[in-house]
Order: sequence, then structure tokens, then C-alpha cells
Amino acid sequence: MKADKKETLRYLGYRGNMPDAQTEKLIEEVMEELEKSSLPKSVYCEFPCEVIGNKVKIGPFSVESNHLSKNLQGCEKAIILAATIGRSADLMIKKYSVINLAKASIVQAAGASAIENYVDEVEEEIRKNAEERGFYLRPRFSPGYGDFPLECQKEVFELLECNKRVGLTLTKGNLMLPTKSVTAVIGLTREKKQSCHQKNCSRCEKKDCEFREE
Amino acid sequence: MEFKERLGKEILFFDGAMGTMLQERGLQTGEIPELWNVTHEDTILDVHKLYLEAGCDIVKANTFGINPFKMEGTGYTCEELTQKGIALVKRAIAETGKKAYTALDIGSLGKLLEPLGELPFEEAYEAFKPVCIAGEQAGADLVLIETMNDTYEIKAAVLAAKENTNLPIVVTMVFDESGKLLTGADMEAAVAMLEGLRVDAIGLNCGFGPDVMKEFLPKLREVCSVPIVVNPNAGLPVVVDGKTCFHVGAEEFASIMTEIAEEGISVMGGCCGTTPAHIKALVESCKGKKPLEISDKGRSVVSSYTHAVVLNDRPKIIGERINPTGKSRLKQALRENDLEYIYKEALAQQDMGAHILDVNVGLPEIDEVAMMKSVLTGLQGITDLPLQIDTSDMEAMEQGMRLYNGKPLINSVNGKKESMDAVFPLVAKYGGMVVCLTLDENGIPETAEGRIRIAKRIIAEAERYGIHKKDLVMDTLCMTISTGQENAKITLDALDYVRNTLGVHTTLGVSNVSFGLPQRELVNTAFYTIALARGLSAGIINPNSEKMMAAYHAYCALNGSDEQCTDYINIYSQQADAPKKVSDKKEVTLYDAVVRGLIDSAYQAAKKELETREPLAVIDEDLIPALDKVGQGFEKKTVFLPQLLMSADAAKAGFDAIKEFLQAKGDTSESKGTIVIATVKGDIHDIGKNIVKVLLENYGFNVIDLGKDVPPETVVETAKEHHVKLVGLSALMTTTVVNMETTIKMLKEELPDCKVMVGGAVLTQTYADMIGADFYSKDAMGSVRYANELFEV
Repeated sequence: MKADKKETLRYLGYRGNMPDAQTEKLIEEVMEELEKSSLPKSVYCEFPCEVIGNKVKIGPFSVESNHLSKNLQGCEKAIILAATIGRSADLMIKKYSVINLAKASIVQAAGASAIENYVDEVEEEIRKNAEERGFYLRPRFSPGYGDFPLECQKEVFELLECNKRVGLTLTKGNLMLPTKSVTAVIGLTREKKQSCHQKNCSRCEKKDCEFREE
Repeated sequence: MEFKERLGKEILFFDGAMGTMLQERGLQTGEIPELWNVTHEDTILDVHKLYLEAGCDIVKANTFGINPFKMEGTGYTCEELTQKGIALVKRAIAETGKKAYTALDIGSLGKLLEPLGELPFEEAYEAFKPVCIAGEQAGADLVLIETMNDTYEIKAAVLAAKENTNLPIVVTMVFDESGKLLTGADMEAAVAMLEGLRVDAIGLNCGFGPDVMKEFLPKLREVCSVPIVVNPNAGLPVVVDGKTCFHVGAEEFASIMTEIAEEGISVMGGCCGTTPAHIKALVESCKGKKPLEISDKGRSVVSSYTHAVVLNDRPKIIGERINPTGKSRLKQALRENDLEYIYKEALAQQDMGAHILDVNVGLPEIDEVAMMKSVLTGLQGITDLPLQIDTSDMEAMEQGMRLYNGKPLINSVNGKKESMDAVFPLVAKYGGMVVCLTLDENGIPETAEGRIRIAKRIIAEAERYGIHKKDLVMDTLCMTISTGQENAKITLDALDYVRNTLGVHTTLGVSNVSFGLPQRELVNTAFYTIALARGLSAGIINPNSEKMMAAYHAYCALNGSDEQCTDYINIYSQQADAPKKVSDKKEVTLYDAVVRGLIDSAYQAAKKELETREPLAVIDEDLIPALDKVGQGFEKKTVFLPQLLMSADAAKAGFDAIKEFLQAKGDTSESKGTIVIATVKGDIHDIGKNIVKVLLENYGFNVIDLGKDVPPETVVETAKEHHVKLVGLSALMTTTVVNMETTIKMLKEELPDCKVMVGGAVLTQTYADMIGADFYSKDAMGSVRYANELFEV
């Protein structure tokens, strides 16, 4: 899975500045090593979706969340998905933390970009399929965003058999390992005007974030 | 007849899916199927009966997901659900009057093991243990460890089954379309480890339908010397209306499986999506077929968690650098528990082309068992090379073999009875190739014949433990020619005979040959080339020596194992005319080297400065000003994170040079003060904290790094123990900031004078104030500034 160079630079805090030749070379090396070694895998499942007040029901899964219910307003169906680029980014970070800290930071950034790109790709596949059936996609929404509890990871994992199908595991604190992984809910709606492609940043509370995109 | 007696002699049939059958009978997605052993026992019983009627020989008990992590909070124990699961199969067998074996079915824990994950290997073992014990007690005939995608977890499960039961063990794994496990391990590596662990059968399950699995079988058969099991899905999973479906029907399934049977498979059955109809069709078309004879492939192989290294006509290199004998810097690292130095040595050797790394961490003044455990675990997160566990401490050897994720090389056993009695049982149990020293109770024979006699005795004794000579690597003992010039000849004659007449692989500690002579590399290189030509399979050498590596590559080109001299040409064609880079390195000052982030140059420049200047002057006038310049640029946003870190690494190399200089004089450098840093409990994102650590160390602080996922109590205890006045905490997630707050509260209660600085992605000044932190650092430089202010008062 390929990372995006511009995004990688953004995660590294470049804010539109160009890297010097030495850094650029490191970034290219890291991107190549990461692309060669990552093993992207995904699994997703479509369920009927029901929203009443702040209560959301997606197939057998239910949760109370204002933010998620807002996101899924008017959705007949929802997709729950899990994706990962595999362990290599984590291993590379471990390795480079010992011999080349700059590279470790670049793996961190490139890995973040690679998993985002990969999820975008999976989402595109979902979008095509949904559009053929007259559905539009809502922006993806992950456990841990807003008041969508991170504890829901457990159920998502059971539901999608994440461990068996894509090799994902959860820590005691419900974080995913390998770290460059994503779980998300994507609402499917018939109403085009309600579907939007807003960047996830606009919903985030951390207004002074270095990486915020408006 | 027992399962083991029939295994490999006739095709045996597993049943099909349990989950699929239960979903049809009302099991909800996300519901725990194993609880049905108690809540819906008639349903489970019926499913078993259907498979028995379909003609299967082995029934998988409904125990796949039983482990302490998944059963937590269900109100049931692993033991009772396991016993119930086995009992239901037994009952189904009795009630149908069929003959069949009961398999205790064990799946993944769903947790990632250390060093990448948070679950220690021994805890994984403990999680599998109660299920194994209960399963055997309830009457299981075999253990099936299935749907596994991580060799390390498999090893924990296999050991739990081996050490707590007498049951045969079958392991099946999920490979992806590239033929690798999700951990990146290839088939060869997984098979090497499992054969080493002496499992009874190895195979594939889940992931794919029979058509795709068929493609993997030639490769598997090529490397596998035990019976093979194939339990495919009924095709690829397809999701329809929130339900996972499989589309390969019974007839199609059976027809592809019949083709698979021709490949010599010993056990066949089904996984997700297969039904009694699939199994019935399968049994009807394949019953009575004989599996091909299973032959020992005779491969001499060690493996890591990703790949196997085969000893063959292409000699291999065992890197010798992680061995404290005669290396004072490594001794110091071991005494100071400086694992990072060891990791660097490992990566440097890997870069130079080593295939296997020797790991010897024995020093009289340290706890070798503990050190072996932590170094081996750590190395497996840093390098994917197979490791050689090198120790004379049997406890360290055994613990190392347990924790090793793969099939290790063991160094060593020798011809003494005591040694063979101790080492061979370990090799027979955990697997491994083992280096055998040709010496015995009477010492080292002074003739080649004497050493050959011992070699033969070792081979015969190993055979008694079921250790085939393919797993032995004979060391005919290299002694210095400075004490006896015939030494080289004796060693080489014995080596030649062992390899070419006895057909056993060989190794030597090559550099011993020149001990006591000047310009040792000259002798070493010549001896190495001769030894390779006489049959040295895997020499233990210093891969950082360019001359030794040149001898190696030239030899491989000459003996034809480097086909078309590809490697030789790749490595040496660019080097031929290029001027040595060293010349332009000399021009760079230490200050410039740090500012520009040139690691090697910074080290060299610092060494040079130390010839004429005091260490303190070098630090205060060059290193710190350079770091300051880069740090200021970073804060002004003219320098960016990777550059800041390159400079940090370069400065670190400069400080290393100073440390070495001081150490040689018997001095130590002074620290500005001690700071404890940690990523808080529940959080596993620690790269930011690691960056802060390096920067603080560069600015002269002694940093105690507690790592990630650190409980508040540990932070407080450490801060107390070292009387520190500053603690740094990091957290990335909103959910773990709570633990940061708890940690700060406890610190303030116990150590009111201790300051706390915090940082991490979700934090803001407001947030930091709210949780009672003394300082919020928005980036790594901020923490340096704060620490400097605090400690200069």
C-alpha cells in the first residue's frame, strides 16, 4: 500500500514547506520499504441501520452516541469495516527507533498516510457498489470519535471476526494492534444531498491541532 | 486404532464448519458459539451427529474460542466449557454408534504477543493451558490448533498442549494469497518451527476455498516432512445482507478435494461454509485413497518469525558480534542493561549480510537467564534474522528456546555425556539445529581422527533422541596457529570429513585461528576461504569486516552457488572505482555534522576533537550549540521534525564518542539530573516519548524510560526511588488522558515537589491545566527547554 508523500509531509509538520534533499531521500526510502513490506487486509459487512434519538442500531450492534446518530441520520443501512496495513510499520518504527530516529518518525507519518489511503480505496469499492444500488455514503466514523465509545471496538471485532480475517488484535485499552489500522462505520443513505465528503477534521474538538485541515 | 497409528497411512476426514451450522440454527453474529455447549447442547449434539453420519473420522469439539480472555464476564470457566464441548462429541459418537476421534479445537487468543503486542509469551501459554488439561481429561483424542496466523502464538499453544497432555498435535494455519501468514512468515519458516516442535501433522485451513489452497500444496509438500492436513472453506466469504456466505457447493468442493488428495494429503475436511453435505461428498469421493508416502526432506533449516535459512551448498554467515568475549563495550552495555547497543550491533551485522546472528550475553556478574530472555524478546522486534542461542547456562538455553519465535540454532553441545544429557532433550522438545563441539571428557583431540570419532559419537547419541543428523552442525574447533602450526590442518581435515563423508553440516569460530598474531584479518581471511572450500557450511565471523565479506562473496562466485555471480557483481561493481568516501567526511566539523544530521561524520569529528580538546569543551562549544541551533530552527519552523531527529542522532553519536573516550580513561560523564519518562497506562503510542528521551539525553540528562502502557504505581515508585524532580508523561488518546490524570494525582500526593510535564497528540494547554500538569510541552524541544530551566535553578 502506497503512502502519499504530501500527506506524509503534512503529518511530519511541514505545513506546505518542502523538505531538503536529505530528508526527501529518507522519505522516499521509507515509503518504498513500507510499501514492499505492508500486507493490507480488510473486512466489512453491511447491516440494516436504525437511528432513534441518540440510539443507533446496526444489525446486531447497538450503541448510544449523539455524534454517531447524527452521522447516520437517514441511513437505511450501514457498513462496519476494519482495515490494516499489517505489522511492518510497527516493526519498522521499532527498528528505526534504535538506529535512525528521523526514519522512525517518517514511518509513523507514512504509515498513517498509507492506512488512510488504503481505507479510502476500500471505501471507493464500497461506494461503487452502493451507488449501483442507489445509495450514497456518509463519511466514515470510527469508535473513539466524539462520543462514539472506544469500548465498541470489542463488538466490532467480534462482529467482523477481525482477528481471524485480517489479523487484528485489541489491547486491554481497546487500541488496535498492528497500530496502522482502522475500524469505522459508514452510513448508506438514499438522500444525495445529505451525503457529504467533509474532512473528518471539521468534527474534531481539537481546534489548535497542528495537522488540522479545514 | 489410535489416531497416530492411522495418521499418514490412510486418508482421514475431519468434519466441516461448526459456526456456519450454528448460524443456520439461530446463532447471532457476535454471539459466543462456545456458550452453546451449555445453553443449546442438543443443537451442538445434532451438528456433531450430522457430521458423523456424513462419514467423518475426526470431530472437532465446539471449543475453538475458549480462552480466558474471551470467556471473561460470561459466567463460565474455560474448564467447564471445554469439558462440556468434548463430552458432547463423545455423546454424539456413542449415540450414532460411529467410530471417530474427538479433537480438542483450539483457536487464536485474539491478542498480539510481545514484543509487538502486550501479551507476554508465557501468559499466552498460561491461557492455552487450562483448555488443554480439561480437554484431555474429558477424553479428547488429539489437539487441533487451527486458524492460526502467528507462529509465536502457535508455539505457545503447542507447548501448552505438549507439556500438559500426551495427545497428538495437529496445527493448521491461514496463509494469504501470497503464501504468507499475516505476520509475514512464509510457509517454510512456519514448517521449520513446527517440525522442530515435533507436531504430528501440519496444514492449511480457512482463508480460501479448495481451489486456491490447491495452489499452495506443492510448496508445502516440498518443505514438509510430516503428514499434511487441508481444511478449506467452501470458497471465499461473500457478505449478503449482513450475513457471511460461501458459494462452493458440495459436489464442486469434493471434486477439487479429490484433485488435492492426489497431492498426497493425509487429512482432509472443511472449514467455514462447509456442511455435512460437503463432508459426505468428500468422503464418498476420497475414501480409500492412500496418501503418498511421507518422506523426510532432509532439510537443514533454522528459521525466524519471517523466513527460513537453509544450510546447503551456499555457505551462510553467522554474525559473531553479540558475544562479550573480548569486547569491552558490549560488556559495559550488558552490565548497564543497554539493550539498544545490542540491537544496533544486530542491525549493523544484518546490513553487512549476516544470515544468522549469534547471541551470547553471558557475563559472570549479570543474571544471564533474565538477560537472555529480554535480549531475545527484544531482538525479535528489531531484526528478522534467525538467532543462534549461545550459552553454557542450561537454564538460559531452555528459556531462550522457549521464547524464540522460530527454529533457533543452538550453541552448543559437545561430546561429554553430561552435555549431551542436558542439551539433546531440549533440542528434541523445542526444536532447533545444534552446534556440536568435537571435544569430550578428555579434552580436544589433537588429531583430526580424534575429533571425527567424537563427531560420530555425537551423531549416534543425537539419533537416540530422535534428532536427525540434518539438525546437527559440527564444529571441529578452530585453534590458533600461533601455539601449533598444525592446528589449522587438523581442524580442516576433520571438517572436510564431517561434511563430505559423514554428510553433516559444519561451523567454525573462524577468527580463533589467528589469536596472538599481528594483522589477524590477513590470516582469518585466508583460513576462511580454505575452510569454505573444504566444506564450511556456516562460519561464525565478523560481518563488519570488509575483507571477510569479500572472501565470502568471492568464494560464492567461485563455487557457483552465487548464480551468474549476481550478488558479487551487485555488491562490488559500484565499489570498484568509486573513491573512498572518507575524504569528504574529514572536512566536516562536529558542529556542522550535528546541524546537518550526519551520524558517522559526527562520531568521527568528535573523536578527532577529543585528541586535542577537553570533553566538556567539545560538549559546550560544539555539540550543545549545534543542537540549540537546530532546536531554535525547529521552533521557528524553518527546521522540521526529521531534520531535528537526524541532528539528534548525530549528536548522540558525538556523545557516544565522548562516552567511549571517558570510559577508556576510567571516567564517567556527569549528568545534569535524572528525569523519569513514560507513556501512560493503556497507551501504546510511544514514538513521541522516544523522541523526547533522545533529546533530553543529548542535553545531558539521565533519562529513565519506563516504556509504554505504564501503570501509575510504577511511575510513582520509580520517581520515589530515584528522587527525581521531573517526570514526563505522554498520551495519545483521549481515553488514556484519564490515566495521565491519575498518575499526576498519585505523584502529587506522594511527591509534592516533583514536577510533571506532559505531551501527546490530544493534549492542549487547557487540558494539561485541567489534569494538574506543571508544564505542557507542545513538542519535543519544549520539554528540553522546561527541563533546562528547572534544573538550572
